[in-house]
Amino acid sequence: MSFLDSIAAGLSLVGNIESFLALFLGVAIGVIGGAIPGMSATMAVALTLPFTFAMQPITGILLLLGVYKGGIFGGSIPAILIKTPGTPASSATILDGYPMAEKGEAGRALGMALWASCTADVISNLSLILFAGWLASFALSFGPPEFFTLILFSLTIIAGVSGDSLLRGALSALLGLLLATIGLDLVYGTNRFTFGDPNMMGGLNFIAGLIGLFAIPEILAMVWHPTAHVGKARSLGKNWVTFAEYRRSFKSIVRGSFIGVFLGSIPGIGAAPSAFLSYSEARRTSKNRENFGKGEFEGVAAAEAGNNGVAGATLIPLLALGVPGDVITAIIIGAFMIHGLQPGPMMFILNVDIIYGLFIGLIVSSAFLFLIGTVAIRGFKYVADIPKRILIPAVLVLCIYGVFAVNNNIFDVGVMFVMGWVGFMMVRYHIPAAPFLIAFILGPLLEDNFRQSMLMSGSDPSILVRGPITWFFWAMTLLTIIAIVRAGVRAVKGNPVMPQDVKD
Amino acid sequence: MTGRQVQLRLGIGALVAALFLAFFAIPQWVSSPSNVGNVILSPLFWPYALAGFTGLTGCGLVFSGLRLGRIAEPLNEAIDDPGAAWLRLAGMAVIMGLTMVLLSRLGMVLTSMLIFVATAFLVRTRHPITALVCAVIIPLVLYAFFAHVAGVAIPQGDFLRLP
Repeated sequence: MSFLDSIAAGLSLVGNIESFLALFLGVAIGVIGGAIPGMSATMAVALTLPFTFAMQPITGILLLLGVYKGGIFGGSIPAILIKTPGTPASSATILDGYPMAEKGEAGRALGMALWASCTADVISNLSLILFAGWLASFALSFGPPEFFTLILFSLTIIAGVSGDSLLRGALSALLGLLLATIGLDLVYGTNRFTFGDPNMMGGLNFIAGLIGLFAIPEILAMVWHPTAHVGKARSLGKNWVTFAEYRRSFKSIVRGSFIGVFLGSIPGIGAAPSAFLSYSEARRTSKNRENFGKGEFEGVAAAEAGNNGVAGATLIPLLALGVPGDVITAIIIGAFMIHGLQPGPMMFILNVDIIYGLFIGLIVSSAFLFLIGTVAIRGFKYVADIPKRILIPAVLVLCIYGVFAVNNNIFDVGVMFVMGWVGFMMVRYHIPAAPFLIAFILGPLLEDNFRQSMLMSGSDPSILVRGPITWFFWAMTLLTIIAIVRAGVRAVKGNPVMPQDVKD
Repeated sequence: MTGRQVQLRLGIGALVAALFLAFFAIPQWVSSPSNVGNVILSPLFWPYALAGFTGLTGCGLVFSGLRLGRIAEPLNEAIDDPGAAWLRLAGMAVIMGLTMVLLSRLGMVLTSMLIFVATAFLVRTRHPITALVCAVIIPLVLYAFFAHVAGVAIPQGDFLRLP
């Protein structure tokens, strides 16, 4: 199928009002969800997921992608107006966004954030379209040993960079892998940790697990500290961003976008490091570097470009390799699975219409983000006024309905509650949840590929180093571990009494 | 909790979990056919491998915890009244437990209304009337969507039967 044929197939799938409406609605939900302090883009995507069950696959996935895109930008609104980042990645936006708000220039900061976000979004989407197909065609030559080493590398890097400690990340990933062993054995069909309960034989419900991990801990955190999210919103002010200011920041925006694309396409890095790296690069190279941290709009632009540049790029490993790059794409992979789709290289052959439909939807989402973002900036005060102590019980009820709807099973609601408490303890003990969830998803795949490799070779482990692709992934895994351990040793030597910053 | 305490507690917890898995949970709750010739292909291999890695990670956490300085700032934000916070958490656990019991008896709509109110008052809402109104409307709207749009068989319970 030629490129034009693929685009035509994609267009025939998404060229209807439902798809664009879902995308528009998704962006709006995402912007609002990201803008509400105490909620996050992740939570918004997780809570929207159950509503996609009854939809066509492409419509449901576009809805979720809209929420993702909207949520990433939405997080910058409370970051600038009330110094509370809606997403972890928006923390970099605070550095210059909030000082601008204090000077009565919140409208200007938010405008710049929106323009930078939309520009980065377009660059990120184009990178996805350019690279995903190429990577997928390369990945078609992967066999079980290559996939085993790829997943191992992904889990290593996710465990290493998700939190502030490699060992805590590794523990999180191991817990996720252990949880994934529950159910019937993949080869022999014997019971593993099922306790004779038929509900456990198919393994724990993935949707119950992720909603439990990412929504219930927020509820428990609110119960633990009900007034934690109270903040006072700044007014927008009279100034608005001008095209000249946008043009002045354009270099930082493009640089930040490419940083986002590069870091986003590596599984596990996520948007926060990208936003901070983009910000520090902008400060290093800017003529106004002395203004950074005091309310420099170029700083806001760079942080937001780094943040949003990741959004499309995280879909590269998801679509091309079937490996979710971060927590949100891990949730989105759930939507694919629920609709009977398995992201990965084969999808580019079997479901090319869906792939190109998604690409078209993503390009359109940038325009929707610009429209909805402009309105959302002005409407933030209404969102900020939603009482959190009414919102949280509503989220709880929504979680119960959503999780029940997956399998019509009350047992799943119990799984969600248990996972919620696990997630809350993980937050209290600073264990990153991302490795846990991604290991839980990739666990069966990792084990399956390992056992298939062993079956192929008659249990000869040398098959795991059979060619250049496996060598590459082993080398990357080793390099990742060495780099993280070295960074940890340096941190201990440099600052022995601040262990929370340590990467051990 | 300081960074050192977190690291040590997690390390000890991981070691205990690894030992529990290796000596009790896996032999007890993972079954394997008796005719599996190769240990690597056995259903037991993967859980044992993961238990081993968990133990190693636990050792690493304990070791790195011991290396950290004793003087350290608490990792978590302090709150005004920890006793009340623990009580609220216990209350939330009770609400979740009751939800599981009530879902099949009262149905999802009534149970959701009750837990909405209970949770709103547990977090000391300043809008009790709004909470009561939302407690009625939100479960009904969700019921309408999931039952009539998504085609999910929402549990109805013994007391209230909705169309």
